[in-house]
Amino acid sequence: MGRHHDATVAGDPRVGGLDAVRTGRRTLLRAGAGGLVFSAAVAAAPAIAAPRGRRRVYVLVVDGCRPDEIDSGLTPTLKELRDGGLHFPRARSLPVMETIPNHVMMMTGVRPDRSGVPANSVYDAELGEVRYLDQESDVRVGTVIERLNRAGYRTGTVLSKEYLYGVFGERATHRWEPAPIVPISGHAPDVFTTEAALAMVEEFDPHLVFVNLGDIDRLGHMDLTGQSLQLARRAALISTDLQVQRFVTMLRDTGRWERSLVVVLADHSMDWSRPDRLITLTPVLEADPLLAGNTVIADNGGADLVYWTGPEAQRSAAVARIRELASAVDGVLAAHPRTKPRLRLGPEAGDVVVYCKAGWRFSDPDVFANPIPGNHGHPATERIPFFLAGGHPAVPKGVASSRRVATVDVAPTVASFLGVGAPRGGYDGRALL
Amino acid sequence: MTCDQTSPEQPRTSPLPRRSVLAGGLATGAGGAALALAGPAAAAGPAGTGDAAAKPGNRVFRHGVASGDPLPGAVVLWTRVTPTPASRPGSGRGPKAEVTWEVATDRRFRRVVRRGKVSTGPWRDHTVKVDATGLDPETWYYYRFRHGRALSPVGRTRTAPAPNALPENLRFGVTSCANLQAGWFTAYRGLAQRDDLHAVLHLGDYLYEYPSGGYGYGSADQVIRPHEPEHEIVTLADYRQRHAQYKSDPDLQALHAKYPFIVVWDDHESTNDAWRDGAENHQPEAEGEWAARRNVAHRAYDEWMPVRLSGTAKLGDGTALFRRLRFGQLAELSLLDLRTYRDQQVAVPLLDPAVSDPDRTITGRRQMKWLKDSLDNRRAQWKLVGNPVMIAPVTFAALPKDLIRPVNDTVGLLPADGLPYNVDQWDGYTDDRRELFEHIRDRGVQDAVFLTGDIHSGWACELPYDNATYPIGDSAGVELVCTSVTSNNLKDILSAPPRTASLAVEAIIQANNRHVRYLNFDDHGFSVLDLTAQRAQMDWFVIGDRKSPDLTVSHTASWATATGTGKLTRVQDPVGA
Repeated sequence: MGRHHDATVAGDPRVGGLDAVRTGRRTLLRAGAGGLVFSAAVAAAPAIAAPRGRRRVYVLVVDGCRPDEIDSGLTPTLKELRDGGLHFPRARSLPVMETIPNHVMMMTGVRPDRSGVPANSVYDAELGEVRYLDQESDVRVGTVIERLNRAGYRTGTVLSKEYLYGVFGERATHRWEPAPIVPISGHAPDVFTTEAALAMVEEFDPHLVFVNLGDIDRLGHMDLTGQSLQLARRAALISTDLQVQRFVTMLRDTGRWERSLVVVLADHSMDWSRPDRLITLTPVLEADPLLAGNTVIADNGGADLVYWTGPEAQRSAAVARIRELASAVDGVLAAHPRTKPRLRLGPEAGDVVVYCKAGWRFSDPDVFANPIPGNHGHPATERIPFFLAGGHPAVPKGVASSRRVATVDVAPTVASFLGVGAPRGGYDGRALL
Repeated sequence: MTCDQTSPEQPRTSPLPRRSVLAGGLATGAGGAALALAGPAAAAGPAGTGDAAAKPGNRVFRHGVASGDPLPGAVVLWTRVTPTPASRPGSGRGPKAEVTWEVATDRRFRRVVRRGKVSTGPWRDHTVKVDATGLDPETWYYYRFRHGRALSPVGRTRTAPAPNALPENLRFGVTSCANLQAGWFTAYRGLAQRDDLHAVLHLGDYLYEYPSGGYGYGSADQVIRPHEPEHEIVTLADYRQRHAQYKSDPDLQALHAKYPFIVVWDDHESTNDAWRDGAENHQPEAEGEWAARRNVAHRAYDEWMPVRLSGTAKLGDGTALFRRLRFGQLAELSLLDLRTYRDQQVAVPLLDPAVSDPDRTITGRRQMKWLKDSLDNRRAQWKLVGNPVMIAPVTFAALPKDLIRPVNDTVGLLPADGLPYNVDQWDGYTDDRRELFEHIRDRGVQDAVFLTGDIHSGWACELPYDNATYPIGDSAGVELVCTSVTSNNLKDILSAPPRTASLAVEAIIQANNRHVRYLNFDDHGFSVLDLTAQRAQMDWFVIGDRKSPDLTVSHTASWATATGTGKLTRVQDPVGA
């Protein structure tokens, strides 16, 4: 189950793959409960010595879960938490509706034009290639994790996906390196993630623990019956709910529940495409005299980010041409200029954001690039479950609110609950308690 | 409310003497929330000849008072004055009349917050319509009018919550299809008895155009209360008189006086099965140009209804009915006009591929774009659509041939041989429905609820994206259909006792339309819609025999949709039980 110390040695490409860990910066590896291995930053040691406050916050991300799935009968624990706490039916993921940017928004409380993390995949002009935003240095701003650390709190991250482990790097006081990793999906099954979360709480009792449970998303991506029976997806819902139940039971059994805020949400939703409903923009753009050889596409499943790589003087004309050509392609919902104010995406997101319709997916640069049926990133996957649970008196019980909330509201909510301040420039989100 | 939870098969009823609910008070101008209306004679006879005419105020204000289209800071106030006996509705006679209006926060008008003076006269059939502005949001107000020494009855109204407010709930009475000839408006009385509503949503067929005896009670078209004028209404004077007759009904007056109305028209406010350039019940050779008839119908509607057409309470500045009303962050109501812009219904539905022709429309292109903008998650949580005709796809193909005709008569189908669906509804304009549902799906629109009237029966439907595979797959939202106040339904046409012959028809339709979760072809009554952030719930209440002026009310069914699901579940108890 847990990885022994030796197994986490720098250089293992499956668990390394992450510059921050590979470089071994001030990283301590420590065996926790159940033989699990956690890493801890030396710099955080004083905080461990000076714990403060009894309040605890647990942010549980049920990755890729749709709000209606909480009412499917397959997730009784999540439903009980939702109905017994403060439920936000209008909650949404924010552009681009992908895992990395929304997890970053949860912990930074700011939108991608400030954080520098607009999507899972972007075109890195310096490297000259499309890559995941999985480096700790990709996040340009501080997170609530670091602010808590500086204020003397202990923090922990238990993130099932390798790229999340990478992007959050060494920020938390205590970190679990996901293992064992499922080939292709690049994530640790929820049973292991939950085991790690339980062990981290019992061993280190962080004031904030940030947990990503990846099964619902990962099995959803691969579910060939996603448009009909959703066999794999339904199995994942049942399984993940059991893991949440384990975690909540631990909180109750150890007396933590009464002093806890449990934030439960998804980072995005999920949509399934038919095998024939593929959108490949690359040949369309390459056939245009202006655009040929001067664009790059970062495929994010339900959204394509198109980058103009030609002369700066032609950028405006190119953006107009990209939008015109993309909008005419079957299955495309909209092609927005990246600078559209409502998107709040920075230059990392390129020049044009193209969304697909429900039931479609992008596959760029060619039709073989994206074979998976389950996708997100487009507006059909914006709606997410989001509720505040926990036994702390500050958490309303059995209430729903029509307030419009989003993933970016998590950090200010956590900060407000634990009593730390806002970053320079303030939060883009709002505290929900 | 005195109604108890009952089973659909054996409703428990609460007989209520007609006069017992019409307590004095409002008619004197000091009655507050209690209802102040005279007895049934006022409704049966010509306008102003009943008990209500006994006091000076009632002689002048014999058509009652009304309010509508609540905004956070404004509400439309309405009345009509009869300054002289000659100033009869539709007469074009009578003097100019000055009318003052007052809005207060208390029923005794000690705290008047707004007042003003307006002129009316025969050019507008002596109606008065004021947009009272400068009001506070989510607040109950009392209003009245004065002409000379005559005071109107006192009306009560309520403004909408502020745009960013988070109201705990929102509760509407929901009603449609009130044919005065077919019975008494006791359903309106049942709604007026409640004290827990915020507004009343009327989904169309507020009045009927038919001549006396043209469309009455049951299969024999028995006339319970004859229409005025006796002939089919065609001219402006006709429409004005018909509005006046309906507005003389004490049950309708009571409901208007107690709650703001939010209205849409369907076809009978002009004439049956209306479309852009004509109507089934319009014969140009005898009745003139359709455009002229529709114009006068709309003019009379604008004069007599507490509604903003083209966004204002002014007359003559436009007749655009489709509009939005916002209720904080909890809900927004988009009200549709599905008669003025639609293409003609197809004549032979089974054979005519035009039902799915992308060039045909039920909404018109401008209204469709507006409706899609309305269904934006940024606007409010519940996207309510006041939808005059059903949007859920319904096939009647499996019905036995002998039942086709009565079902057709109920739901408004055209000729009877093997029709698979009702082409006067969205089923006759399937490309518009496809476009709308695709928009909902593509944009991730959540909590869309279509509120519908028109077909004289109660329905609760989910709205599948793929009818063939449903219930596997997702739903675009739900549709909740209220039954008629009095207009005939299936049992009336079959002359069968309630809950007998219709049961088989309902079972067949539901078996062949798995998204139809509730169907009641038999009853008349009203519905109550309650919204919270968690769910939207509709309760169906039924009245006793429409022929009787005495009221009995029973709860028959409740269905709810939990937020985010687009699915329906049965609920045991009505709200406020």
